[in-house]
Amino acid sequence: MSADPTRRVVLAASAALPLLVAGCRGTQVLGSPPQLSAAVRQLRSAITAEQSMVASYQRVLTLLADGRAAAGSGPAARATLAGLLAEHQDHLRQLRARLIPGSPQAAGAGPLPAPSVTGVPTAPRQAIGYLGAAEQAASDRLLGGVLQVPPSLAQLFASISASEATHVPVLAATQVTQ
Amino acid sequence: MTAAGRAGRAAGRRLSQADVGALQAALAAEQAAAYGYGVVGSHLSGTQAESASADWIAHQSAADKLDGLLAAGGATASPAGVAYQLPGAVHTAAQAVALAATLEDQVTSAYLDVVGRGSRDLRMLAAQQARAAALRAARWRGTTVAFPGLPGVTH
Repeated sequence: MSADPTRRVVLAASAALPLLVAGCRGTQVLGSPPQLSAAVRQLRSAITAEQSMVASYQRVLTLLADGRAAAGSGPAARATLAGLLAEHQDHLRQLRARLIPGSPQAAGAGPLPAPSVTGVPTAPRQAIGYLGAAEQAASDRLLGGVLQVPPSLAQLFASISASEATHVPVLAATQVTQ
Repeated sequence: MTAAGRAGRAAGRRLSQADVGALQAALAAEQAAAYGYGVVGSHLSGTQAESASADWIAHQSAADKLDGLLAAGGATASPAGVAYQLPGAVHTAAQAVALAATLEDQVTSAYLDVVGRGSRDLRMLAAQQARAAALRAARWRGTTVAFPGLPGVTH
């Protein structure tokens, strides 16, 4: 655990916006772990969700690079998915930049959980369908989160939610053999 | 509570200066989009013309909703302009499609401004409208971006 005596959890806003102190638990070191503010919980959960999206896309791209799916419409589908993956990596970078490194640990929240990618189907067409459903769910979750976070973060959530929603029709139109 | 319910509750009392400013800017973007889609539609045919017509209706109805929110909150909505300066010349179908995408970008940005600047009660409605505009922009453009409506955030 960090020795930071103030045990602050701070949300970092973009350079143009002021820092927002989301929670400050004073100088007490012992006792039960401090509650994370709703905003920090939402941000951590958004980061975890993006990590899972990135890992899922990587899994499906690997799948499309292998075997029968690599032939036919595979290369075009891989190019589409690689483009969408790059946008998720951008989302993840921006979300992480809003969470000051080390502060969640300082608040007793522990490290972010490793992304989970269980349940990605192995058949290419089903795998792309899975990504589409995951995008819609992620978009809806972020939209719901806009009320739980400060305005500057709400703006980022809303924009990422919109981006993820735009991925759904792209995936629906992505053709793969098999 | 639904987004419309929240926004309605916000409109039931006087709107703050910030809310009025952000809503007026969103209204101006919607009105400009509605005007622009008239130009867009005149250069398109078939399913593209149908899409332009549906999107034009969406902007008209969103403008009406903003008008209602402003009025209920004690503010006077700015009237739509007779004509708007378009961002570029439109002579071809490709230029019309590009204009539609640009109009949607502007609407997306205006609603994200409401999310960032307006009261919490307006936030959900504005975020939903930003998402709807981003979906239309991506459909016209045929490509997606990581941060719709936030051109300053690149990666």
